[in-house]
Parts: sequence; C-alpha cells; structure tokens
Amino acid sequence: MRIEISRLTKTYRGGVRALDGLDLDVPTGMYGLLGSNGAGKTTLMRILAGLLRPTSGTVRAGGHDLATSGGRLAVQRTLGYLPQDLGVYPDLTARRFLDYIALLKGMDSRTARRRRIGELLDVVALTEDADRRLKGFSGGMLRRVGIAQALLADPRLLVVDEPTTGLDPEERIRFRILLSRLAGDRTVLLSTHIVEDVAQTCRFLAVLARGRLAFTGDVGALVSRADHRVWTLTTAGPAPATGRVVAAVPEGTGTRYRVIAPAAPGPAALPAEPTLEDGYLALMEDGR
Amino acid sequence: MNPNDAPPRARRPRATRPRPAAPGGPRIARPTVVHPVRRPRATSRRRESMIATFRYEFHMQIRRPALWIVYGLAYAATVAGFLPLYLNPNLGQLGDAPKTAVVVSTSLIMSLLPMVYGCLITDRLVRDRWLGVGEILNATPAGRTGRLIGKYLGVCAATAVPLALVHTGRAVVYAITEGEPAALGWAGAILVLAVVPGLLMAGALALTGPLLMSSVPFQMLFVAYWFWGSVVPASVMPTLSDSVLSPGAEYVVFGLLGYEPVPEPAPHLIVPPGHGRYPPWPDAPPDFLRPEAGPAVAWLWIGVMLGFAALLLLLARLHAIRTES
Repeated sequence: MRIEISRLTKTYRGGVRALDGLDLDVPTGMYGLLGSNGAGKTTLMRILAGLLRPTSGTVRAGGHDLATSGGRLAVQRTLGYLPQDLGVYPDLTARRFLDYIALLKGMDSRTARRRRIGELLDVVALTEDADRRLKGFSGGMLRRVGIAQALLADPRLLVVDEPTTGLDPEERIRFRILLSRLAGDRTVLLSTHIVEDVAQTCRFLAVLARGRLAFTGDVGALVSRADHRVWTLTTAGPAPATGRVVAAVPEGTGTRYRVIAPAAPGPAALPAEPTLEDGYLALMEDGR
Repeated sequence: MNPNDAPPRARRPRATRPRPAAPGGPRIARPTVVHPVRRPRATSRRRESMIATFRYEFHMQIRRPALWIVYGLAYAATVAGFLPLYLNPNLGQLGDAPKTAVVVSTSLIMSLLPMVYGCLITDRLVRDRWLGVGEILNATPAGRTGRLIGKYLGVCAATAVPLALVHTGRAVVYAITEGEPAALGWAGAILVLAVVPGLLMAGALALTGPLLMSSVPFQMLFVAYWFWGSVVPASVMPTLSDSVLSPGAEYVVFGLLGYEPVPEPAPHLIVPPGHGRYPPWPDAPPDFLRPEAGPAVAWLWIGVMLGFAALLLLLARLHAIRTES
C-alpha cells in the first residue's frame, strides 16, 4: 500500500504547527521515519491512523483520501496501529483485550479470532501470560500486547510509533525481525528516535525536523551524509572542542571519543566509518 | 498501479491453514494470512461495534468489586432506614397486595440505590482517556457512535444488575413467604416500565457529565442532584421531585398502576386509589412540570426519560467530534 503525502500541514489549537507542508512518498515495504522529539512524527502517524485530520494538504493511502471519512474508514480496515503511548484496560486479560480489539476490527468469527489471537500471543511470546490481567503486566509485556493487537486483522498498512520503547534487547531484536518479515507485501511505517531500529530493518527512510522533511532516500544516502566527517580520538585530556561528540568510551587511562566534524578535531584523530546514526546526526547538524 | 494500492473490495471471510514452521528457523513465524474482516455497511458496522463494546463494557463493569461492595452497603443502609416498610411491604393488605408490595419495594430501592448506580458509572467514559486506550479503539474501523451506545448500554446494564437483583429478590421472597406468585410478574413489569427509563436517563447523565468536569466532583454533584431531583419533596423547596423530569418511578406507579399517595399526614406513603391524588402540588414550583398523573402522562414520562438519555449521548458524541482534531 503506497502512501502519498502532499503539502501536509497540521496546526493544533493554539497555533502550534506540528507539520508544515510535508511532501512524502512511502512505497510498499519497510519504511523508517526518524526525527527528534517534537519533529512531527507522532502527528503524522496519528493522521495516517485516522485519528487526526490534516489542517491542509492531502494524504492518500492505497488510493484512499484520508481527508474524507470514507477514506479514513477504508484505511482503518487495513490498518494495524501501535501508538506511542499504549493504553489498555487493566481489568481485562491479554487474551480478552485482544479479543475485544479483534471484534472492533470486524473479526466476527469466534473460531478465526481465537486462532489468530493464539498465533499472535505465541508470536509475541505471551502465551503463558495470556489469561493474566493486564494490570500485572510489565511495560515490555504491554508493548508486546500492543504489537499483537496491531497485527490482529492481517493489516496491509502497519503504523508503529516507537514500537521498541520498553523492550529489552532480545525483545527488540525479535520485534525488528518480525516487522521485517511482515513488510514483504505490506507497508510498514516505523517511527522511532532509535536509529539502530531503522538501521537494522529499513532500506528507505525519511527524517523529519520541525514538521518538515529534512531527508528522504535510502539508508546508504543518509549514511553518506557523514562521509569524511566521522573521527575517533583517544585522549586523556578534555573532550575535543570542535565538532559534535557522539560517543565517549573510557579506554585505559583516557577516553575514546567519536566525533562528527568537518575536519579532524585533533592531530591524533583518525577517520572512522560512518554509521546511520552518524549520518542522522550530521544531517541534524547541517540543519542547525 | 500496484494491485495492493487498489481500494479494498468486499470479500468473504476465508479460513487459511497456518503455514508449517520452517525447521530450525526462528520462532517468530510470519503470522498466518487470514482475511476475516468483512466490509460491512455503516449500519451493520455500527451495530457490530455496539454489540462488541456492550459485551466488554458489561464484562468489565460486572466484575468490578466496588460495584458489589458499594451496592451492598447502600442496600443495607436502605433496609435499616426503612425497616418497618420492609417488614410490612403490602401496607396492611391495602388493595392488590402483591402489586402494592412490589411498588413499595421499588420506591425504597429507587430512593438511595440510583445514587450508587450513577456514581459507579461516572468514570466509565472518561477512563478511556485516562488509560490512553482511546487511541487504539479509535484507530479501528468500528463506528464511534456504535461504540458510545454500546458502552452506555453495557455499563448501564451491568451497573443495574445488583439493583435488579435486589428488586427481583425482594419479589421472590415475598412471593414465597406470602404465597403470591403474582408478585414476580409485577416485579418484572415495574422494573421495565418504572425503573429502567429512569435508570437509562440517570446513566446517560452519569456517563457523560464527567466530560465537563472531573469524575469525583461530578459524583458529588450527582448525589446532590438525585436528592434534589428525586428525594426532597416538592412541598419543601423548588425541586424536580415528582415532576416529569424526575427519574423517580412515581409517574408510572401512579399513572399506570393507579396508585396515589396519602396527602396527609404521611404524603410519602403509597396507597390505592381514592386516598388522594398525585401532582400537581399547589404552590410547589415548578408546578407546570407536574401534570396530574394518568396513563398518558406516564408514557410521556417514559418518553422524556429516553429522550433525555438520547440527547445526552448526542451531546457526548458532538463533544467527541469537536475534540477529535
């Protein structure tokens, strides 16, 4: 399902402009959305989920115009949505909560619902806790319930907002693999500020900054934004004064710094291979 | 155009077999491709989301411990406060004894328990926002109007269960001890005609009121409203008591069942026809809201209760639309 966004603007009451003339084309497959807090990612996700209406501009998903109620409904029928702040009914068990959401998604057949819920509980490794009330679940377990509900009706469009927040490293890896597998003939829009999640799952991505599109393209193109600008410098003295320090690892009596700077931050600095995070930070530096 | 981009067409639910897991592969299997989601029409969609929401709201409310504890305490207080009437519910065999017993029992139940009923409902709509669950629910294709109605009916039905049990239980005890099975029939008829309309109105008010203020102050306001609008006699102060806007059961009791209150010296007692008349009370403002009881006015009262409930739900829906974006 292709998503076409044209000159999308969203202004909240009080005049806060979350999206400002955004143009973006999201193809079928896995697509990453990066940006700092307040960049407009969640607003965009909520518009795609049919929860918010644009102030102006158009958003089309699978040919459906999200500005119309019919278009929103058509998209919601094929949507799996995992919001950033996931809420559940604490007095329901995981199985019953999923059953409720499945009913609301139009899965009327009890047999199909039970089978699907059983599968998804297994996928998110919650089978043993399926009949426990959600109020006793940890943050990571709730996140997994959220992932399961998003996958209930075999969505063609999966919108996941900060999905790995609260997951431990193993769960994060498990979830990233799951998303990648799902992305075959679906569109999976992964919004996150964890660059590693995008690096491990997406070929294409966009970066938002202050409601505008700062970058769109493949992962390699964003990485190349940091070409010849990443350095490592090991020193016992203070941190380099030039450039942006992105990592500091104690090493022996000194500290090994990783720095993004247009030129070597010191005579002992060595060029380093850029990562996606370096590319993202270089882009953000350029935008300042 | 990519076939995946085409607008979805209606198709039948189709069961598919799960794919066998790849030997030695990761445990995260691709979920089975199922297409159980139908493409219903708007009315059908509204009905289905209403039924689903009804089921789950009923389930969550009926399993709430506070529901049973608070009702239990309130019922004990009611019995203790009106013990003589509990011991002699047929008022000395006046008129149709089983009917009188059920009417008296109803009037006792409707004095205090609806306050508990309302207070237990006040958090149900706004808690979707507190819990943050509204985002997931609103992203489903389920109609929001259907969900609102389903929540309203499910919550009201579950919250009314203890009240209905008390009402019916009293009739069962009476039927057994007095050998009057007709009390059961009267209990059912009075529950449907005299109790349910008032509860539906009170339920809609309790559900939607907290959209305008926080839940706890609204609970206090609801209790004050119930005393002012149903318990305080019209002769004491300007009140909605005994008017067509009062959710109390009097208009049906007096208008459809032919009961009348004793005007003096005990106007709170209910006795068969010939002992007095129901409103208007002279000099009890607003008297224009207290037409004389009769079948037509009893039906009017039922209509007013249901109409108010519908109006409150409509306002809640409009409030949601206004705040959605």
